[in-house]
Amino acid sequence: MNNLNGLKILILFLLAFGLQVSVASWLSIFGISPDLVIIFVVTVSIKFGPAAGCFWGFMAGFTQDVYQPIEWLGANTIALTILGFVVGQLEEKLLTLNTPAKVGVLALGFFVTDMIYYGITGLSRDIITNLFLTKSVPECAYTLFIGSIVFYLDRGKKKRHA
Amino acid sequence: MFRAFRFIVDLFSQRHGVVAFAFFLALGLLMRQAPNVFRESIVSTVTSTIFYPVQLVANSLNEFRSLADENAHLKEENAKLRQETYHAREGLQELARLHTLVRFDDKWDYPIVTARVVGHNPGRFLTTLVVNRGSVHGVKENMPVFSMNGLVGKVTKADMGHSRVQLIVDPNLKLSVMERRTRVVGFLESMDGHLLTAMVPAHAGVKAGDTLVTSGLGGIFPKGIPVGTVKDVRKADIDVMRQMDVVPFQELSTLEEVFVMEKEPDWIIQELLDE
Repeated sequence: MNNLNGLKILILFLLAFGLQVSVASWLSIFGISPDLVIIFVVTVSIKFGPAAGCFWGFMAGFTQDVYQPIEWLGANTIALTILGFVVGQLEEKLLTLNTPAKVGVLALGFFVTDMIYYGITGLSRDIITNLFLTKSVPECAYTLFIGSIVFYLDRGKKKRHA
Repeated sequence: MFRAFRFIVDLFSQRHGVVAFAFFLALGLLMRQAPNVFRESIVSTVTSTIFYPVQLVANSLNEFRSLADENAHLKEENAKLRQETYHAREGLQELARLHTLVRFDDKWDYPIVTARVVGHNPGRFLTTLVVNRGSVHGVKENMPVFSMNGLVGKVTKADMGHSRVQLIVDPNLKLSVMERRTRVVGFLESMDGHLLTAMVPAHAGVKAGDTLVTSGLGGIFPKGIPVGTVKDVRKADIDVMRQMDVVPFQELSTLEEVFVMEKEPDWIIQELLDE
């Protein structure tokens, strides 16, 4: 990953968070909004590999954690770091991920991240089940829809990481 | 400098990113294990030095765009308010008379600080806001925060020029509430950082559509701030209690301005908080 790529990812990072706190709430349907930050982490991991994936996963998770209850600090950080690394590894092993495969990875990543997050925050099983059905599933569907558009627009622009 | 940066990048890229993964995962786990005081200092430092300035700039751009809309809206509202002022004056006079009659002394006579919301969680669980008023403006920790529509939360951290507000949907905020019709007192909490639930005694007969206000019993929030309406009532785990889903009066994701009430916690609560 060269300096120019680093700058590009930084801009994408700011853009993802900027859109998450502004556009995502406008796109909200019945309180369900897409998670642009997960799309960002998955995209970076696919394009730039596991090292960049876990670095930007860490940065994104920590940024989210700063505004969470203090007792949950580190939950998003760990979840998104793992997501970035795993997706990056997956990309390295499978080498070429087409758009449907990327969307599949995004779906898997979304659920895995949520499960890690719920597990770390120590919520009870009933609450997790309720959150999974009322929040995770619909938000995952919405995120996949937005993610597939992002991946489609980004097709053929793959850069090899160092 | 550049060579050192290059060396770190190369080191982290080794073994297919395993080194980077181990490093960042360890940092995350350290954060999880750290005591709350240390976590608070991490959050405060990062918020003050990085996130607050960025959010302030982003928010200013956003605000500029909405000024024209807001101006038109304010003109319309001003016309309505002129009409309402007349009725309100009469109402206040009547209220003053009634207060004298029932020796009601529980009014909000605290100064109010108006604050602009400049940031909130970028994640999917909205539990915290950042506002552009801090200790120099008289804001202190544990001061109640509300909006035109109802209760928003309380100040958890007051820095010099900005403060962090814990919203009522934060699972760590438990709040004593009172149902306005039956006057029964219960408590409100959010177990998942998303939905609000309240518990009241079963005999009270609280039903869907009833209104909850702050009870004034917790020592932090004064009595009578509107909180929300009861959406659904069901049996709780304990037979003598009823659990209710509550819809807050204030939609928390669309907040732009809030009011901080310069009310410090009652002395006994302050002592408990200090401990």
